Amino acid sequence: MTRTILGLMLAILGLAALAWMPTQLGAYGVGLLLGMTGYVALASAWALFSGPTRYVSLATVAFFGIGAYTVAVLSETLPYWAVLLVAAVIGLAVALIVGLATLRLAGVYFVIFTFGLAELIRQLVTWYEVNVTGTLGRYIFLPITAEQIYWQLLAVAAGTIAIGWLISRSRLGLALKVIGDDETVAGHTGINIAGVKLALFAVSATIITLVGAIQAPRWTYVEPAIVFNPTISFLTLIMALLGGANRLWGPALGAIPLFLLFEWLSANFPNHYSIILGLLFIAIVFVVPRGVLAGIEDGWARLKRRGEAA
Amino acid sequence: MTSLLDIQNLRKQFGGLTAVNDVSFSIAEGETVALLGPNGSGKTTVLNMISGALAPTSGVIALSGEHIAGLAPNRIAHKGVARTFQLVRILPSLSVAENVIAALAFRPNHLWGRAAEERAEELLAEVGLGGRGGEHANDLTYIDQKRMELARALAAEPRLLLLDEWLSGLNPTELRTGIDLITALGQRGMTVLLVEHIMEAVRALCSRTVVMNVGTKIADGPTADVLADPAVISAYLGEGHA
Repeated sequence: MTRTILGLMLAILGLAALAWMPTQLGAYGVGLLLGMTGYVALASAWALFSGPTRYVSLATVAFFGIGAYTVAVLSETLPYWAVLLVAAVIGLAVALIVGLATLRLAGVYFVIFTFGLAELIRQLVTWYEVNVTGTLGRYIFLPITAEQIYWQLLAVAAGTIAIGWLISRSRLGLALKVIGDDETVAGHTGINIAGVKLALFAVSATIITLVGAIQAPRWTYVEPAIVFNPTISFLTLIMALLGGANRLWGPALGAIPLFLLFEWLSANFPNHYSIILGLLFIAIVFVVPRGVLAGIEDGWARLKRRGEAA
Repeated sequence: MTSLLDIQNLRKQFGGLTAVNDVSFSIAEGETVALLGPNGSGKTTVLNMISGALAPTSGVIALSGEHIAGLAPNRIAHKGVARTFQLVRILPSLSVAENVIAALAFRPNHLWGRAAEERAEELLAEVGLGGRGGEHANDLTYIDQKRMELARALAAEPRLLLLDEWLSGLNPTELRTGIDLITALGQRGMTVLLVEHIMEAVRALCSRTVVMNVGTKIADGPTADVLADPAVISAYLGEGHA
């Protein structure tokens, strides 16, 4: 109990320090911080669902784009908070429909479906914009500063990690562990497997939609190719895998170094960026399949055992 | 006696193969019944249909008169059916206690937190694993994994317990312990259907025995009579031995 309170206090202190950081940084620094926090939120939200269920989702950008586009379409007709709310509701609705339809797909079929879903939504939006509204791009003129976007993303990222922590201590968390170990046993102990997966997918997708909506004003100009860029899905996935999708802090720990690395790569090797990304992807899956955190824990356990044996 | 489980004209088809063909039997409240038959006779398929792991092609499965055939396993579990598996299925990443809490936390009147931990400890003590809840499920020996699996099944407070070759693979001492455990369950009024190859156990535990061969029921009656039935002996040993 005291450990929990201590951890909570540390988390609040850390959060306060992070919230204070923009005052010490220039515009570039704030932009970097903002992007990094966005990916911490995305990777943590992705891992809420994909970590325990081992369903590899490439639908991240579908929801991210839905969020961004909702803001682009509604920012001039509704107050900002209402736009965020509408975006979250749309994300949730799409997640429930898609989840109900697809969560019986297993393994690689689910991966392919989610990848296709992102592409489908992007094409639908493009078709609608070209044929119905007659434009392709939209401008977002919202009086929101980079600092404000950062603070919102920070709140979402912290909230996501808090949700992950709460889930891990709840019956839902145990249900997830049981499902991860053996779905047959899970069903026979009375766990509603489809319901659990759907709930998690919906929570994860809603958060991702919110991240897209919050980040949208940053772009000023939005078009489908920007906000439905599949690289966002791949980056999110690789970050969560690097840190460890089954650890509370894993996705955050993976997101920070990789985001900085990608920033550096895209600035210095813009033409080879995709190749390096692909190679890194392969390397991470081969070298640390369960993430760096799990790797460190294994190494630590091995060291301890050796210490005991000696 | 009223019957707890009623199976009528149960049938399961896998493509062109009829694994279970027109099987009917019932189990009374508090009875311990054996389901016998050579390998591939469809016993486990019957068990899988009762627990919901498989949906029947046709036929009726009723629990206290309520139809459960084709329902999802979690719904059937909530109606009071629990089982163990032919190849013991533990939850390897969880502790022994958590393996049991997994069932306590998701039964209809679920337990959580301290109450679940205490109940898990009681159940583990009941199957002979008292004080070992903190161990990793993966580190248990085979018999202890089977005990844990039984504790998990009992945690659901089932009305009907399905044991799929729960006693096989045990050494003679362990077998004795296992038989005593199931006997104790029967004395408490638990209804048990067990698929078993070990005749010693069947004789000791089951007043009644149902025998299947190539998907159909070939005998059903008091265990001693059924085991002496020429049709049953020939099904087990082949033609010419009866």
